[in-house]
Amino acid sequence: MEPEIVAKIIATLKAEGIDLVVTLPEEPTAPLTEAIRRDSHFTSVTVANENNGISLCAGASLGGRRCIFVTGIAGLLVSTWSLSQMGILYGIPVLIMASYRGDVSDRSGISGAQLFMFQQLAEPMLDTLRIPYRVIRKKADLEREIRDSHGACRDYGTPLVLLLTGEVLW
Amino acid sequence: MVNRFDCLKQLALLLDPHALTVTSRGGNAREWAYLRPDGANFHSLNMGTCMAFSIGLALAFPKRKVVAIDSDGSLLLDTSALVTLGDVNPPNFLALVFDNQVYANMGPTATARGADLARMAQGAGVKSASTITTDEEFAAAIKPALEATELKFFVLKSASGRSNVKINSRLIHGRPMLERFITALEKHPDYTAK
Repeated sequence: MEPEIVAKIIATLKAEGIDLVVTLPEEPTAPLTEAIRRDSHFTSVTVANENNGISLCAGASLGGRRCIFVTGIAGLLVSTWSLSQMGILYGIPVLIMASYRGDVSDRSGISGAQLFMFQQLAEPMLDTLRIPYRVIRKKADLEREIRDSHGACRDYGTPLVLLLTGEVLW
Repeated sequence: MVNRFDCLKQLALLLDPHALTVTSRGGNAREWAYLRPDGANFHSLNMGTCMAFSIGLALAFPKRKVVAIDSDGSLLLDTSALVTLGDVNPPNFLALVFDNQVYANMGPTATARGADLARMAQGAGVKSASTITTDEEFAAAIKPALEATELKFFVLKSASGRSNVKINSRLIHGRPMLERFITALEKHPDYTAK
């Protein structure tokens, strides 16, 4: 993730009033989460399991704290239990930003079989969990997609996932 | 062993009306909903989600006490929440983990075989974690814990099986419960999401 993209995301999160960022560090989004950790505007929480990251964000969001969970496809797979509870059962808005591991532009070096598994599961899993998502490929779309999605997840009353790929991520 | 209902009854008597509470499923939810019918109570969270959800609420309401009423089976499903709790170390947080060593009437949890949740919490960085084994110990500990300005974490060794208390009120689940919780939050002086 290029410094220009990191700066754009951070500026947009601040403009949206988001000041709590929860993550379990993963390679493609590490420059972003590292920059957030160094920025005193944000409370940064590093969880040890994405499932409790989603639960934590749901509690904070329900309490009125604007927050975002930063993860990848593997993290979304781990967090399906909490997503089903907070999303389908309660309809609690949680904005999630995820690296789209396994997309065709993923050249991060993990095995092709693993990439293909992510590619096969990512969008069907979100559809099954009835979680809306946006795939963001173009730098020019990034700010608007974050702002629109943050508003939409609160209006809809649901977790919503921004899948970063293409020139935004790789 | 402590009596869960009696402990919760004491908690209800002492708890600030603006405190927020979260419970796991089962007896914790049923008894707490009966004892504290009003106020910001989010109850019946499913296995492994109560502790982390409560930490999130504590981050949203830093000036209010948040009480997580969890159980051994629920916490054991996602013990990494203990690491998060130790890391975040919310000063407005009280965790009460009722440890009856069974999954309802379905069989023993790992705490019946020697797992020690208080020591696990200590190892995860929750320095105040301790175990309470009698009602008298709870009575001595609960008021200072509610007045404390630091994270408190108690594992309460409780009797297995259902409580003998007859509770006639029906427990409201899911979105109707959520709506009640939000209504309570909207009256809350610190709520910012209006």
